[in-house]
Amino acid sequence: MLAEKYQERIEKIFAKYPDKRSAIMPLLYVAQEAYGWISPEAINEVAALCQIDPTQVKSIAGFYTMFRETPKGKYWLQVCNDLPCALRGADQFYQELLDYLGIKDGETTADGVFTVEHVMCLAACDKAPMLQCNFHFHENLTMETMKALIEQWRAEAKAAQGK
Amino acid sequence: MTDTVRLIIDGVVHQVPKGANLVDAAKMVGNDIPVFCYHPKLAPVGMCRMCLVELGQAGIDKDTGAFQLDDKGQPAIRWQPRLATACTTVVTDGMAIKTTTPQVTEARDDIVEFLLTSHPLDCPVCDKGGECPLQNLTMRHGPGESRFLYEEKQHLAKHYPLGDLIYLDRERCIQCARCTRFQEELVGDAVLAFHERGRRLQIVTTSNPPFDTYFSGNTTDICPVGALTTADFRFGARPWELTGVPSICPHCPVGCNVSASTRLDRESGGKIVVKRIMPRQNESVNEIWICDKGRFGHHHSRHGERLTQPLIRQGGKLVPATWDQALALIAEKISAADGDVGAIAGGMVSNEDLWELRQVVENAHGGKDHKSLGVYPYRLSGAEWVAKVGLSKGSNFGQMGKGTTIVVIASDLSEEAPIWYLRVKNAADRGAHLITLNARPTELDRFAKSKLKISYGGEIAALKSLTEKPEVKDAANVVIFVGGEGLDRAGHATLMQGAASVLTSTGHAGKVNNGLIGVWAGANTQGAFDLGYSSEATESLLNKRPAVLILADADIVAEDAANVSLLAHREGKFTVVSEMFLTATAAQADVVLPRQSFVERDGTVTSGERRVQRFYTAQTPLDGPRPDWKVFAEINRLRTGSKPKLSAAAVMKEITEKIAAYKGLTYAELGKVNKQFPDVGGDDPYYGGTAYENKGGLGVQWPTEADQGKVPSVSMPAVGKARKLESGELLIVPIVELFDRKPAFAASAPLLHSHVPAPYVVLNSGDAKTLNLVDGDKAILSSGGVEGEYTVRVDAAVPAQTALVARNLNLKSPTPAVPMVGSIRKVEVVASHV
Amino acid sequence: MANILLREKDIPGIGQYDTYVQHGGYDGLKKALGMKPDEVIQVVKDSNLRGRGGAGFPTGMKWSFVPKTEGPKYITVNADESEPGTFKDRQILEYNFQQLLEGSLICAYAVQASAVYIYARGEFWDIGPHMEAEIEKARKAGWVGQNIGGSGWGCEVYVHLGAGAYICGEESALLNSIEGKLGQPRVRPPFPAVAGLYARPTVINNVETLANVPQIIVQGAAWFKSIGTEKSPGPKIFCMSGHIEKPGNYEFPLGLTFRQLIEAAGGVRGGKKLKAILPSGASGPLLPATDKVLDTALTYEDVAALGSVLGSASVIILDESTDMVWATLKMARFFKHESCGKCTPCREGTYWLLKRLEAIYAKKATPADVQLIEDVAKQMQGKSLCALGDFATSPVMSALKYWRDEFLAYTQPQKPAPAKAGKDKVVAGGD
Repeated sequence: MLAEKYQERIEKIFAKYPDKRSAIMPLLYVAQEAYGWISPEAINEVAALCQIDPTQVKSIAGFYTMFRETPKGKYWLQVCNDLPCALRGADQFYQELLDYLGIKDGETTADGVFTVEHVMCLAACDKAPMLQCNFHFHENLTMETMKALIEQWRAEAKAAQGK
Repeated sequence: MTDTVRLIIDGVVHQVPKGANLVDAAKMVGNDIPVFCYHPKLAPVGMCRMCLVELGQAGIDKDTGAFQLDDKGQPAIRWQPRLATACTTVVTDGMAIKTTTPQVTEARDDIVEFLLTSHPLDCPVCDKGGECPLQNLTMRHGPGESRFLYEEKQHLAKHYPLGDLIYLDRERCIQCARCTRFQEELVGDAVLAFHERGRRLQIVTTSNPPFDTYFSGNTTDICPVGALTTADFRFGARPWELTGVPSICPHCPVGCNVSASTRLDRESGGKIVVKRIMPRQNESVNEIWICDKGRFGHHHSRHGERLTQPLIRQGGKLVPATWDQALALIAEKISAADGDVGAIAGGMVSNEDLWELRQVVENAHGGKDHKSLGVYPYRLSGAEWVAKVGLSKGSNFGQMGKGTTIVVIASDLSEEAPIWYLRVKNAADRGAHLITLNARPTELDRFAKSKLKISYGGEIAALKSLTEKPEVKDAANVVIFVGGEGLDRAGHATLMQGAASVLTSTGHAGKVNNGLIGVWAGANTQGAFDLGYSSEATESLLNKRPAVLILADADIVAEDAANVSLLAHREGKFTVVSEMFLTATAAQADVVLPRQSFVERDGTVTSGERRVQRFYTAQTPLDGPRPDWKVFAEINRLRTGSKPKLSAAAVMKEITEKIAAYKGLTYAELGKVNKQFPDVGGDDPYYGGTAYENKGGLGVQWPTEADQGKVPSVSMPAVGKARKLESGELLIVPIVELFDRKPAFAASAPLLHSHVPAPYVVLNSGDAKTLNLVDGDKAILSSGGVEGEYTVRVDAAVPAQTALVARNLNLKSPTPAVPMVGSIRKVEVVASHV
Repeated sequence: MANILLREKDIPGIGQYDTYVQHGGYDGLKKALGMKPDEVIQVVKDSNLRGRGGAGFPTGMKWSFVPKTEGPKYITVNADESEPGTFKDRQILEYNFQQLLEGSLICAYAVQASAVYIYARGEFWDIGPHMEAEIEKARKAGWVGQNIGGSGWGCEVYVHLGAGAYICGEESALLNSIEGKLGQPRVRPPFPAVAGLYARPTVINNVETLANVPQIIVQGAAWFKSIGTEKSPGPKIFCMSGHIEKPGNYEFPLGLTFRQLIEAAGGVRGGKKLKAILPSGASGPLLPATDKVLDTALTYEDVAALGSVLGSASVIILDESTDMVWATLKMARFFKHESCGKCTPCREGTYWLLKRLEAIYAKKATPADVQLIEDVAKQMQGKSLCALGDFATSPVMSALKYWRDEFLAYTQPQKPAPAKAGKDKVVAGGD
């Protein structure tokens, strides 16, 4: 499926490297976009594209934290609460966010819209509290701005579902 | 003499081989630097950090090459501030290490303590306990008391199947990566890998099929803890209860040295039984590896359906009889046959058996008559070329690399002789130029520098072209493996001659690491050839069967249905079969003699590399079966009054006197062992395994004529006419599948039953299309008057008008013994009413 | 003085190709192409530019290790900025990318490399397309691709995104990651200069290091050396985070003091008293806020003399309210999470340290546990395959050196019941 749907992108990726194996990480991103997570079929497809054993692809997917090996919420919120952010209130912010959504660390909301996790330093220590949502950064957050974002995303999710 | 350099270990100067790493170099001079991740058969990775040493460099006077001395008169050494891993450090002249200082001792203690924080310490219930590197090194370096709280240990899966052969205990794993590296580096099949990272690092497989390679069991041997265990041996016995009895694998011509781990077994009524088969180190044969067929294929020796009594045909039925009755009857029939006696021996009949069987036939003939001594299977021949220019004495695939060209023709080594496959693959990895010449893709192609696709029948032409190739002509060494795929007996004999011609015409005969290997079908096919048996004889014995036909381990019916009528009970014909099981062939016999399995007796076999090797009695023999040599000697005594020999050793002594090639190969000579490197056996604390040590002998390769300076001039056979197929005709080509349904193997390895494929036929995509067949269809294949049902596999790389059929998968309707024209038709699935 | 690295503070939009060129962009590469490759290396050597990724290795010397063999050679730009407290490279990638690109190309020319791989951490997701777009602009202008500037030499530039692993900032792990292997460090030798990416000669430089290069070529080694101190010349970006009034990146010549730096960033937040400084993120040892420390010049040598490191100059400020046990636990959690697991001391040690620190913080430990974490940290030192194992010990060792009492205050004399991990609210989601 990937090979047909993303043919041009995949060709571009392979063109970057002298070795097919190097394409595993970029192709896992493509697969994650296509399937929402690194599903077993995503592993097999990437392995076939890179002409490598699926176990090797699984290994790469498991080593890096940005590849999700289980399905997550539509909005995957990763809050940095490493030391520099925590010194600027990230722990408290994180707890309030969890409380607001009524879930615990690492959980997904019942409607499947939000997964919230804490992550290690995201190189935005001067703009804490911050998080990445589906890899996009949101910085200098307060619970007020956060709530607004949550509601905005919730509405978007609802609208998308309604379609 | 290899180049050496000076290495100073704890103040003492040693000479060690240049290019060795510090662990190996120190080991060679008697200093054990402990390791977990390092293994001498794998590239060093420096992961476990157990081999940390103080590292320095002595100053060397440029003019004299002598060490510069300090004020105490000792070599002046500059020490590095950090400890270094010995496994990743290659020795250079004047390198110095300290291995006994407090800093080094503490480092080792520290690493062991770290490893133990994540280890369950369940030695009392662990299969590895007693031969476990972690256990051994904990005894040396471990803390007496744990500072790590048991409650904080991670709890992980204890019985995680990596396939149905190998189980992983994730708590015991110390993340050394020996198993993943074995699969990736040595086997070339990277089906194991780490998942996650840090303390969560775990071995996984998501391959399909999962961890299911022909070599998987070896990972359990090199695992330095009890993390990997085989489904065959898990909880089977404790290593310290086991006695390792040297043996030779009976399954293929490689002649892997194995160790049968035995113990007095309660479940077996207090008898000594084999609990597992382990590799036994022979660096010239199998190093420290065996395939899974050899490892798991030993259960037939204790199988409930073993024959334990002679059977005699009475009133059309086989009924039990005593040995005396059976042997008297055979002697009588032979005497009555007036010289019309022949014998065919299968692949695992020992040299001693073969010799005594030969006496039976020769006595009946009143002298020599090699035309009546056949080998089975008989599709392979040309052994005379091996005798002339076979792989030279002293050759070792483990030492081949750059400069050596290895040719594999008409053979799929991964299926026919897995350890040859492994060693050829690794020689190719070290730089050997591998050329594969086959009509279809084989596993070895992945590692070949040139894959020359040939057509069935085009073998000689392909060989001829080799003589012109610079990679063959100008190579320092050339080895040629000649298989028999797509060939009949005569075709194989011609191909062997062709290969001999390539070797002699390019000057590659009679030199170490050069020569010819026939990829024989059996573990002792070479021995049979050596002792006067031949494929030509089999062919004529089957064409015109003698009045008395003795079949020892030759299941001629199962492998070729054409032979059923041959044995059909007829007046004036008498068939004697020596077998372990009541095979299709035995069922047709007049007398059936119960054979012993390879673990119940001693003897010698000769490998495809012409290495004569001893195997020893490992298991309490079943009551009833006797060794063939004894049985045949008794027949001779009954007929001629000759004095029977009292032991297999005595038979071998006679062989050494009568067979020139075997001169001097007494049991004592064959049982000798030299020191081998790497040193993995004995009380070695960290390469693991109590079974590696070779206590049974390294065997002796007999020299070829070329080795003795008589290099023959061999002409290249004429290129024969290619087989012409009419349109619509199919050539049925039997191929070899390692795991098949031969009765002895089926009884041998229940664990592997699910790995034996359903009978299949492989067709070219064009042919499949014409025949209206797709992958997975059922089809009826007919050839030589036999029909059988097969599952269709479509493979674009198979030659057109060819159907590949694996031997011994469909025992009800055997494949033809040699290529034959046949046809195929689809089985129409009729919708059934429910 | 105008910023040399954070130029967007003076020239908005400098990261865009057109703006960059209007302000002298690619003059450095032009000049370099008129020189022999060895001459370019010599200028960088003479400038005494030291690696800005943390180790401070002389850049020109690194380039000179690359053999002059035939066949492909590579430059990899280390943009895997993942050290807690470090966010300087990100600013260059976002706002001054062309300068990095030009610096990379000069480096590539100097060692005659055929391709540059920019390895950016995956979380710089949104910067990836920006970088690729800017590379395309440079390509259109003839600075990327075949026959650059008519020199006959060609070089490709690619962006490779990581996917969340601190260890990939370790140069050999970074190479493995580009090769599609686990991001675990390699054993050296061979060194990357000889056998790096795809086993070919490779130079690996940090973003900030390479961003210095164009101006060194344009203005010369002497100019560069006139900035900063003799042994630590040049400008440096200081990442200010934690309890500081105005967190962010500040560019200064090396050699100003901690006190000056903190003042420049608005002082300690809320006027509180300073307690401790982490001069180089989580991996550099903590320093107490003594006058001696505050008056120390920020150079590689002077900070080292204090028993810490300048490293990447990611300065995390901890005020008087900071619980040092909590701060140490945070850092222990980071290192445990980021240990790649390849070597024993780091894999097992980081886990053990975290477990005991959690117990101490949960007041479920004895004074012996405080001794134990120090012993475990010592036991890890000097034994791991890469520097991460040693980094992981520095918060523990330095915190115990200066604030041992705080750890002991958490303990109980009797052995309490075993701690259960991950239950504490403040360290949400203990790992």
